[in-house]
Amino acid sequence: MSAGATETQVGVKLVSHFATVEQQKRAAVLGMWAWLLTELLLFAGLFLTALILRLLHPEAIQEAARHLKFWIGAVNTVVLIGSSLTMSGAIQLSRLGWQRGMVRFMLATAALGTLFLVLKGYEYYADYHEHMMPFLSDRPYELKDSPPSRLFVNLYYVATSLHGLHLLTGITILLVMTWQASRPGFLSQHQNRIEIFGLYWHFIDLIWILAFPTLYVLNR
Amino acid sequence: MTSGTITDGPALRDPHTPDSRLGHGADYLHAEHTLRSWFFTTDHKRIALLYLASITAFFVIGAVTAGLVRLALVVPDGQVFTNDTYNKLFTIHGVVMVWFFLIPSIPATFGNFLIPLMIGARDLAFPKLNLASWYVFMTGALFTLASVVLGGVDTGWTFYTPLSTAFSNTWVVPALIGVTIVGFSSILTGLNFVVTIHTMRAPGMTWFRLPIFVWTHYATSLIFLLATPVITVALILLIAERAFHIGVFDPAYGGDPVLFQHLFWFYSHPAVYIMVLPGMGVISEIVPAFAQKKLFGYKFVAYAAIGLASVTFFVWGHHMFVNGQSDFASVAFSVLSFAVAVPSAVKVYNWTATIHKGSLKLDTPMLYAMGYIGLFVLGGLTGLYLATLAINQHVHATYFVVAHFHYIMVGGTVLAFLGGLHFWWPKITGRMYNEAWGRISAFLIFIGFNVTFFPQFILGYLGMPRRYHVYPPEFQFLNILSSAGSTILAVGYIFPMVYLVYSIWFGKRAPANPWDARGLEWTVASPPPAHNFLTEPQAPKIPYDYPIQARETGRQHS
Ligand code: HEM
Ligand SMILES: [Cu+2]
Repeated sequence: MSAGATETQVGVKLVSHFATVEQQKRAAVLGMWAWLLTELLLFAGLFLTALILRLLHPEAIQEAARHLKFWIGAVNTVVLIGSSLTMSGAIQLSRLGWQRGMVRFMLATAALGTLFLVLKGYEYYADYHEHMMPFLSDRPYELKDSPPSRLFVNLYYVATSLHGLHLLTGITILLVMTWQASRPGFLSQHQNRIEIFGLYWHFIDLIWILAFPTLYVLNR
Repeated sequence: MTSGTITDGPALRDPHTPDSRLGHGADYLHAEHTLRSWFFTTDHKRIALLYLASITAFFVIGAVTAGLVRLALVVPDGQVFTNDTYNKLFTIHGVVMVWFFLIPSIPATFGNFLIPLMIGARDLAFPKLNLASWYVFMTGALFTLASVVLGGVDTGWTFYTPLSTAFSNTWVVPALIGVTIVGFSSILTGLNFVVTIHTMRAPGMTWFRLPIFVWTHYATSLIFLLATPVITVALILLIAERAFHIGVFDPAYGGDPVLFQHLFWFYSHPAVYIMVLPGMGVISEIVPAFAQKKLFGYKFVAYAAIGLASVTFFVWGHHMFVNGQSDFASVAFSVLSFAVAVPSAVKVYNWTATIHKGSLKLDTPMLYAMGYIGLFVLGGLTGLYLATLAINQHVHATYFVVAHFHYIMVGGTVLAFLGGLHFWWPKITGRMYNEAWGRISAFLIFIGFNVTFFPQFILGYLGMPRRYHVYPPEFQFLNILSSAGSTILAVGYIFPMVYLVYSIWFGKRAPANPWDARGLEWTVASPPPAHNFLTEPQAPKIPYDYPIQARETGRQHS
């Protein structure tokens, strides 16, 4: 244990309608997994359509996929995996009761999430310049004679902006939680909130890890 | 477990004079009085009542528009409303009835009220989430309602592309946003039920001691979780295409219009079972109570619920037989659709076997239940017609389909809903209603329903298409018959709204167990105390422990 790290008591406060803390924790974990299942299905339809499209029109999609900014996607993948690492760190420290360190790791997670969004925003901006947005009539689409590529790129925008929206929500919740968690006594009453939120964060990461190969990499 | 345990205290107390001595044991209706205590409650029973009030209001809106549609169809030349108005009216009717009444109806009211009581829990696992899902529901529903009233929508409740994306010049986008929001409320409710049933059962309440009502809600919740995200994505894509030209369905953007139908029916066929399964749960509680006989084949009925919930995901293509899908797909979907009939029939056989040689009491809930079984059988059988490829070519998009889905959805959901409302009304309010009026309403609804919708089978078979308000004069007689029936039906619906509300103030006080029924909810006072159980609940050794045992156990006596 490093000097200066203050340990606090770790635990969960029993809410009155549960019989035991164990039951309460189990309910929370199951609830989050059920929610994540629905989230996975939300994205599954989009990814599946994109994959089928690739199978049906390999050349057209390849052409479109080549215009995606592979390097930004790759860097973003690394950034998100990094944020999952810092989140895991925060969870580990919360179990040990190292509140100060935990808060720092949570802030780092939020910062990496924000970095992802900034890079994504830049990528959209570059797309805009390269006429890669089929829905803008004032900037005619670069590959306009290829309907499948338009469809693919449209799916790309829907999927990535939906993912971005999830990330934005995640960052907001994370910041609110960091603020709450920095107050004394938090860990003795609500330690499992950090764990539950961790599941959600890793999941956003997982979705991106599915999105990246589906949209950027396959038959490139 | 002994029957009819009447706990003293709240049950025998006049609700007008709350008894201060009762302290924490006060019943949930009188535990607190402020408006705040209703709109910010986390008590699952109060939230159930918030839903009950809201979906009743939506039902009235849906019914009034149905009446207007039927009014328009009395004359063949379509002179009552303009084409445009007619389209908007049946869209309001369909949208409100399906999305804001049928889908939430039984789960959000009785499911919310009863699941914790039935499994011996103090509340649902996430009470605040439960309240939040009511707010989400109201936000979405009022949003859609405002858009169909202020601007109108003419796409029908199915929002088919390309009409909805490219051609309709009505308020499609706001209506869709509302429906999407309501979907989240379904997901949250389903999630809450699944977690509650998994983690909050009282000691001794094993899976095979759960009432069938809980089993069917478990199956329904799985559909909520697995299917709703798909419709959410479909609607989001629709909004994106219509509002931002991010096209996925329009061929001009390289999209595929049939893709929408796939996504839509992947949700909406299972949604039929969101509407029907909870109704089956209600009937499975009512029938044994009024036959005083153990539910026949309990385990099969439980498995059939899960079976239905699974098979229902593989039949969506039967809505697309005539839109050019491959013959192979059509045959496969046809065969799978027939498979759905098996678990459905299992349920009907088990109810019938339960009634057989029981000591029948034909009280109002039982009359509704028997009406339900009759309508469900007819609706189900005509479903097999529709799943047959050759017949489908003939009756597709005719009134035959309209009649079929009304038999299933109104027969299957509304009758079960009303049956359940009469069955649990004493528990919910602590008051008895007038039995004679109840029986009259059940008869009126059954007769009115058949007079309204049976002629539509014939109309459809003769070739009258749905969603048209101008039709050949030779169809007029049957249409007038149908409209006349809907008037009887309307009277049948108005009755309960009057005598049930009347009973809240003037009805006899209800004992804890007026029907001599089994199940944990009948062991607590009527209305139940704020935290459900004053003492630790004891799970029954076997479910449906009624005096008459089914023949399979060999202990038959009466
Ligand atoms: C009060 C009795 C009712 C009458 C007289 C009635 C009448 C009708 C009519 C005439 C249509 C056909 C519109 C058309 O396609 O041209 C229709 C459609 C529909 N009804 Fe009803 N209905 C009634 C109750 C209900 C109830 C209680 C529900 C649901 C619980 C319901 C659900 C639907 C649905 C989903 C449609 C399809 C709408 C569409 O085609 O877009 N109806 N109804
Ligand atoms: Cu179907």
